[in-house]
Amino acid sequence: MAIVNLHNVTYKYPLTETPALQNVNLRVKEGEFVAIIGRNGAGKSTLCYTLAGFVPHFFKGELTGSVEVAGMDASKSHLHEWVLNVGLVFQNPFNQISGAKYTVFEEIAFGLENIGVPRDEMKVRVEEAMRLTGISDLADRSPYSLSGGQQQRVALTSILVMQPKVLVLDEPTSQLDPIGAREVFGVIRTMAEQGMTVVLAEHKVEWIARFADRVVALHEGKIILDGTPREVLTSDLLLDKGFGISRYTSAARKARELGLWRQEQLPVTLEEAAEGFALTPNASPKRRCESK
Amino acid sequence: MSLNRSFFVPIDSPLHRLNPLTKLTFVFAMIISAFLSVPDMAPALAVLVLLTGFIGKVQRQYRTVLLKLILPAILFMFVMQSVFLPGGETILIQVGRFDVARENVRAAFLTVSRVFVMVSSFAILLLTTHPSKLMADLTRRGLPPQLAYVIISTLQILPQMQAKAQTILSAQRSRGLDTESTFLKRVRAIVPLVGPLVFGSLVEVEERAIAIEARGFTSPRAKTFLYEVPDTRADRLIRWTLVIFTLLSLAARIWLS
Amino acid sequence: MRIEIKDLHFTYPSGVQALRGISLTIESGEQVAIIGQNGAGKTTLARHLNGLLQPTSGEVRIGYWDTRRYSTAKLAARVGYVFQNPDEQLFSRDVHMEVAFGPKNLGYPKERVEALVSEALEMTDLLQKRETNPYDLSPTWRKMVAIASVIAMDTPIVIFDEPTTGQDAATIERIANVIRVLRERGKTILTITHDMDFCAENFERVIVMSQGQVLLDGKANDVLGQEEILATTYVEPPQLTRLGKRLGFKETVRNEEEFLTALQKRWRI
Repeated sequence: MAIVNLHNVTYKYPLTETPALQNVNLRVKEGEFVAIIGRNGAGKSTLCYTLAGFVPHFFKGELTGSVEVAGMDASKSHLHEWVLNVGLVFQNPFNQISGAKYTVFEEIAFGLENIGVPRDEMKVRVEEAMRLTGISDLADRSPYSLSGGQQQRVALTSILVMQPKVLVLDEPTSQLDPIGAREVFGVIRTMAEQGMTVVLAEHKVEWIARFADRVVALHEGKIILDGTPREVLTSDLLLDKGFGISRYTSAARKARELGLWRQEQLPVTLEEAAEGFALTPNASPKRRCESK
Repeated sequence: MSLNRSFFVPIDSPLHRLNPLTKLTFVFAMIISAFLSVPDMAPALAVLVLLTGFIGKVQRQYRTVLLKLILPAILFMFVMQSVFLPGGETILIQVGRFDVARENVRAAFLTVSRVFVMVSSFAILLLTTHPSKLMADLTRRGLPPQLAYVIISTLQILPQMQAKAQTILSAQRSRGLDTESTFLKRVRAIVPLVGPLVFGSLVEVEERAIAIEARGFTSPRAKTFLYEVPDTRADRLIRWTLVIFTLLSLAARIWLS
Repeated sequence: MRIEIKDLHFTYPSGVQALRGISLTIESGEQVAIIGQNGAGKTTLARHLNGLLQPTSGEVRIGYWDTRRYSTAKLAARVGYVFQNPDEQLFSRDVHMEVAFGPKNLGYPKERVEALVSEALEMTDLLQKRETNPYDLSPTWRKMVAIASVIAMDTPIVIFDEPTTGQDAATIERIANVIRVLRERGKTILTITHDMDFCAENFERVIVMSQGQVLLDGKANDVLGQEEILATTYVEPPQLTRLGKRLGFKETVRNEEEFLTALQKRWRI
């Protein structure tokens, strides 16, 4: 069953000429992990905001087409109903800290206070969420005293504690060092494995290739590709449009010209690349594929 | 970089245990009385505020605020008022072309005392009050959550702004901006320093609005609170005493002037 | 211009020992990447090079200048520093004015300022946007403005603090191109980065920092191949380096060209 259903969505921010999204059609099944790739300015953030209800409710502007997420309809539901079902985490961890709380524990409880969760239940849920994201030891620290990676995990926990059906993440690791990024990806992966529907906008192709069930490529507000990571991330179209691709894919593409890559499909992960490059150039690629 | 970038000092003291509204009442009682009372009680109130700092066991942190923030400001005010205010008959000393009159020094002393009371009582409120509890208590009493949020987050964010200003200063100095030599150069340096600070804040405000909205801030459901903030009989007693005290000082002003 | 760092120690007022005995020489015209986990001291080190921070002990020399004797505003003529967040420095009405701010501060004559600004705008693909207000540009382009505003100062040394953070592939390529042009002009370049592929493809020398000390310092290939040591400061070798190791290549490869050469050698010999 589709938990996200965007049909012919076109959206223009107020005071702008060109639409940020054009005729976007996107269906996401419950429990699916979908990654969105695209250059800066391609509309990734706008798509995330649309899924999370901030477009059009917060940003205003003109929206046509239909947006249905978790049984809500953008034209009928209020933003405060929306946020109960869809969680949003974005780039800058610092700006996602409420600024009204003294400790991490309080910070995470903030959302539950707002939606009127009773005190006893609140404490249980906060503790559980912190355990899930591995930040229990930060409970009494000030959110401002943390590293970027820790802050981003606090932001993510603050959303997870609200138990959204759909988790939308807009480049949640772009400001983090490799360790911070790995920590955050680890949590996202756990959530996806537990059956949460995840939509992730991200540049780091290597991670997408490893984790996502499906990849959607966005270019100038339009979806130009939609398929499995291997289908999308090895497409020639990405090269033409200036998308970032993994070094494994581009090296294999060059190697293919030299006759050193014999598989039909190009690789997107280290494992796929290692396997493909280990084949002797004389081995028949066909048979290899069948035996897989 | 300090580990805890907030004013609040997380210890236990009689002052910490008071209800936030009680401390807020204290702040306003002190300010109103300091500014309006006749005869002028500001110097006496200043001593009283200092003493509360000891009750709250935050004298050490208060001293830092005093030395870094309050003293420079009031010293400046004191000098400006006593030197540059015209009039006054009993000349104490001469500073260049300016006469320093006894009357002006006295007036300056009173003004400075008032400002001292105002800033110090606020500082002690912040040093001894858990920000979340302050917000919870005020919201529970009917203050619109938006307003409570603005007040608390502003206080929390001030130290962050300071850190940010420092980074901007570094970035501009790296571009050859001279902020150290002449006075004129310092004045010229203001735009490159303030511009990014203001713009950065605008971006931050929008993102923060999205972030708190995403956490149900405008939900119409009745809010709940993580902490129970006790309001004891002692709290109510202190509050009424402060209200009566303020009314008396107002009454004194009306009758005596 | 040569950078000489001798037994540099730095302790923050809070008591945190950020640098614990760094000695380095960077020759004129070298391109150096500094990598290592957050908190390793990379930015603290870079901020010593233009006097934003002063050594607790030890010394830093830029050319023959001891950084303790010159203000940052003076050192700005020798060391350009691109900060991580462009929003912490942009303030002008239009891109042109913003880029001219640095060279003007350095007191260059008007014609030279104009020439440098045009050149910097061209290098960063900003010529079309010279009259735009920086804040009407996307964050990606604001980053390019910040870069242009520093390279227009025409300093012999340029420092980039995490230039590729949050940027897409096209922008990263644009930044790599700026670095290539600067290299051709003989500039000394120091870049702090978390992006290992960017590091491998654009820098000849790599310095790995950990806990305020230099862990490794050498030719990119020698450094990036040391998977175990890198792991101790939470750095993973670049994609193709890892692939090369996995395939059992004897030599360390760090870019596509080296990878393909090694692959050819493997099958043809």
